[in-house]
Amino acid sequence: MTGVWVLVGTLVAGLLAGALLARRNGRIRAAGPARAEHALPAPVAAVLDTSATGPAVTLVQLSTTFCAPCRHARAVLGQLAERTDGLRHVELDVTHQPQVAQQLGVLRTPTTLALGPEGDELLRVSGVPKAPELLAALEAHLTRARPTD
Amino acid sequence: MSASSAVDPRGPRFAAVVTTVVLAVVLLTGWWPLLAAQTVVFAIGAFVGLRPAPYSVLYRVLVAPRLRPTSEREDAAPLRFAQAVGFVFALVGTVGYAAGLPVLGIVATAFALFAAFLNAAFGFCLGCEMYLLIRRLAPRAEQA
Repeated sequence: MTGVWVLVGTLVAGLLAGALLARRNGRIRAAGPARAEHALPAPVAAVLDTSATGPAVTLVQLSTTFCAPCRHARAVLGQLAERTDGLRHVELDVTHQPQVAQQLGVLRTPTTLALGPEGDELLRVSGVPKAPELLAALEAHLTRARPTD
Repeated sequence: MSASSAVDPRGPRFAAVVTTVVLAVVLLTGWWPLLAAQTVVFAIGAFVGLRPAPYSVLYRVLVAPRLRPTSEREDAAPLRFAQAVGFVFALVGTVGYAAGLPVLGIVATAFALFAAFLNAAFGFCLGCEMYLLIRRLAPRAEQA
């Protein structure tokens, strides 16, 4: 009899978790002030182009070898960066450097960080991003003129 | 990624449905030899390869001929990792039931069922996405 209740409980929990995950997929979260000031892990800082001609926004996608949706995220972000001025997409494989994900507080892949010209975190997206929503959220950062002094 | 390491994504989805049914039956009956069989199925998928895994064979023989062919391919590495996670839970469950610790058997089976059900119903591969979390909890367990 216990088995029946455990079965029902597990399936209900599965339905709730599935619905929650579906709703959270591609959700955009603004970076908190603490997060924005946090020093970037070295492997992330290394992929940034902080030169004057660098992009206004860099999308750093954290992936692992074991991540099926990372491929979809790569396709979405790659195409978006290609047709958007000032937007660059970089994929960072953290399979063998999980400490990078840990420092950034990332628990699942793909998670994409949108970084400003100085490496400041603007926002992050977990799961496969939705291109129009992401573009809308980055609009202000993309159009803002880079300081040239 | 090479063509040999990629699979028709509907195969693993079908396998997840079969796995869900098998694990549900295990919970209902507490018949651990069935869970032991499922453990072997997970082990083949994780450590030998997806092609010889029993449910993929079943998919290719029974289901695939009735579906339209698809050019869509999914990388095998995440799926094999997820099978390895399933293997660990199924193994713990089998040991639990067989050693007279039904609570351990039920809990481990429920976790495996939860993951298989998420995959079957939502196409969400828990083991794949939680790789980082699992690495953090068991830093040395999944070096392969």
